[in-house]
Amino acid sequence: MSVSTLASFEYLERLPGTTFRRLYQQPSTALAIFRRMLPHLAKTFVMALLYMSKPFPLTDLDLWVNPNSKRERDKALQLLSRLYIITVTPPSRDDPQTITLTQKFGESLRLALTGGGEHNSFGVPSNDSVAEGVDLAFLDEYAREQWEGILHYVVNSVGQSMGGGGQGPTDAVKHLLEAGQLVTTGRHSGKGITQAGFSFLLQEVNAQVWTLLLLWIENAEKMELDSVEVLSFLFMLGSLELGRAYSKDTLTDSQRQMLPYLVDFGLVYIPRSSSGHFFPTRLATTLTSDASALRSVSAGFDAASSAGGAKGFIIIETNYRLYAYTDSPLQIAVLSLFTRFKARFPNMVSGRVTRKSVGNAISHGITSDQIITYLSTHAHPQLVKNASIHGGPVLPPTVVDQIRLWQIENERMKATPGFLFKDFENGKEYEGCVKYADEIGVLIWKNDFKKMFFVTRVEQLRDYIKSKKLK
Amino acid sequence: MNAVDGSDHYEVAAEGPAPSLLVIVLDTNPHAWALLAPTLPLSKAIANILVFINAHLAVNNANQVAVVASHSHRAVWLYPRPPSSVEDVEMSDMTSPHLDNANKYRPFALIEDSLLTSLRELISTTTEADISTTTTTQMAGALTLALAYINKATINYTGISTETKTTQTAVDTNEAPIGLQSRILVVSVSGDLAHQYIPIMNTTFAAQRLRIPIDILKLAGDTVFLQQASDATKGIYMHLRSPQGLLQYLMMAFLPDQMSRKHLIAPSQEVVDFRAACFCHRKVVDVGFVCSICLSIFCSPPEGAICLTCSTHLSLGDYGAKPAVVPRKKKKRKKINGGVDTGSARGTPAPGE
Repeated sequence: MSVSTLASFEYLERLPGTTFRRLYQQPSTALAIFRRMLPHLAKTFVMALLYMSKPFPLTDLDLWVNPNSKRERDKALQLLSRLYIITVTPPSRDDPQTITLTQKFGESLRLALTGGGEHNSFGVPSNDSVAEGVDLAFLDEYAREQWEGILHYVVNSVGQSMGGGGQGPTDAVKHLLEAGQLVTTGRHSGKGITQAGFSFLLQEVNAQVWTLLLLWIENAEKMELDSVEVLSFLFMLGSLELGRAYSKDTLTDSQRQMLPYLVDFGLVYIPRSSSGHFFPTRLATTLTSDASALRSVSAGFDAASSAGGAKGFIIIETNYRLYAYTDSPLQIAVLSLFTRFKARFPNMVSGRVTRKSVGNAISHGITSDQIITYLSTHAHPQLVKNASIHGGPVLPPTVVDQIRLWQIENERMKATPGFLFKDFENGKEYEGCVKYADEIGVLIWKNDFKKMFFVTRVEQLRDYIKSKKLK
Repeated sequence: MNAVDGSDHYEVAAEGPAPSLLVIVLDTNPHAWALLAPTLPLSKAIANILVFINAHLAVNNANQVAVVASHSHRAVWLYPRPPSSVEDVEMSDMTSPHLDNANKYRPFALIEDSLLTSLRELISTTTEADISTTTTTQMAGALTLALAYINKATINYTGISTETKTTQTAVDTNEAPIGLQSRILVVSVSGDLAHQYIPIMNTTFAAQRLRIPIDILKLAGDTVFLQQASDATKGIYMHLRSPQGLLQYLMMAFLPDQMSRKHLIAPSQEVVDFRAACFCHRKVVDVGFVCSICLSIFCSPPEGAICLTCSTHLSLGDYGAKPAVVPRKKKKRKKINGGVDTGSARGTPAPGE
């Protein structure tokens, strides 16, 4: 689950260093990136470095980290330097390698922890008379309506008429969905859902929000919005408190320009009577929440939506029978993408996951991982409870394996973009590089006989080979 | 292709790192802080600890924190504040300027405010009589409060789902496959805690059972039992040689939770002092007497040879008899001095009739 949400951050990883330096000027952004994007060990490193006055020698870090966890250590360091959070001095003969936090990030995170400064990046609460009737339940209901409107629009484009579902999203959102190729407006069959649209539907809410927001950011440049500004604003929204009114006065012009879009997404609510302030909804305040926290958050969100049913509603048995305690047309529609339903009752539907139904889904471009993630995210509390008691997986392993096998039936090949290394001078050089690539977790394939190997990322390995050449 | 094998089953269950609960037991013994004031005044230490708390909360937004003060005569909650009816009005107008500060993440501001308020309250309600009567701190009470809180938090975290799962109103069921990870950090400044030997060891064993590490950050003084507590619960024990660097120590050694500690080499104590305190005079003893029935420890044979704990009549054998000239006797006495006088047929104290 965390994997799917983290995937939406791949966009950030692609940003150039200058963008990061600008992003890190806001303490709220530094905090959000720290909290949301870093693996656990990397957070530990950052915190240890945060108040360190001198550069930290890499050799000391090795002493601190358990030798068995070298792999995790290297992964953490790699990600940190990719996000421009730490700088590792290039290896040279005179000085030992040291690591330091980049100045901007360190400053901002320190400011975030201690408070102070004049950045106003955590939002200015409004003290004006707060609009009547804006409470948590109202905001949740509002956010749910807006969001389900969007989802309904995507689902309805499959052709299964759900009926109802409010007035649907605004035109701006519709354009965005088309621009992002979540739905297509093909000539021959009217509107259609795309493969991206299917994966969008199967994600959890938080990931969906990010997917849409990132689409929006990518399109924002066309609307003459600065992507850095948009991102900092989103990260700021993530640090606001649910149910409080915030003042619009301190926002920059472009941020104010963004508000209408966010209202369309249901991230922000602006009361009609008073335009001086806005309310972040649960969708906004959980933008930077962790995967583990999201479980509870989405529970709160779903529970607030009276019609949507409880968060965990799917029970799947080892015999592939599936029971879904829901009456939400949206959820049933999503489930029916890969399940053959047999019976429908007022509060539940039952069906079976079959080879044909899964195969059908896969032919639409849904992957087995998406199905499995969806099932485990929405697993009934009873399944989750049993799993935690016995320490086993949430879903029956037979079903999980079978769904994977069904996918593999058709997919005998998996493509991984990357880089091939070959023509090494000698076996020793080859072995050193392979070992290093494996340690930093980029190695995909190797052939010792032919002295070739294949990696997904090349930057660190390039530095490594350069440093080897130096010596 | 290799993805379909047994090892992949558990990926579905494994999620992001579990949130952790950090309970800080802050030793606010006025005597000890007065001694420490030239190097590290309390205000500075609190400021450092606040940053540390914020850092802990920053790591994961489901992380929780609680702070107990172990004062000279009582143990008090600093955060979360115990619900009290009197303080409500006072608090609301004291907090408003802080909390609307847009330059501070609101959860951080809330905690800081509440912690400082209750700490001020605690200090202002401490009378001279309180200070003069005792020089130590209520560590055992504070640890007990911490354990009770952890227990409650754990039940809250996992239990709700099991209780209310049948009802539709299960709003905040946050069941995660891995439960809440809790740990206790004791910031200790006081020395001798021998008079609380039994309660401290009891809390230690309770923590050990619950797999809650007790980390000890020793700023001053030396306590045998806190060393044992951290050793038994696989916590970290650190005696700071330079208390000025408190924050760096906190950030580096004490911030990692159980998950990341697996990957790190934790600072360990070279020698653990395993001595115990006697039950009669609360003295730390190297060699003592042990009741053969209830294993109570005494520094000298209890009066009338009756165990103070279980009231068993103990026969002390020849202990205390004038050393005789017979060489055999001399050997015997040596054995008795060895604490447990096993091996001799007569010497083992047996319950009296």
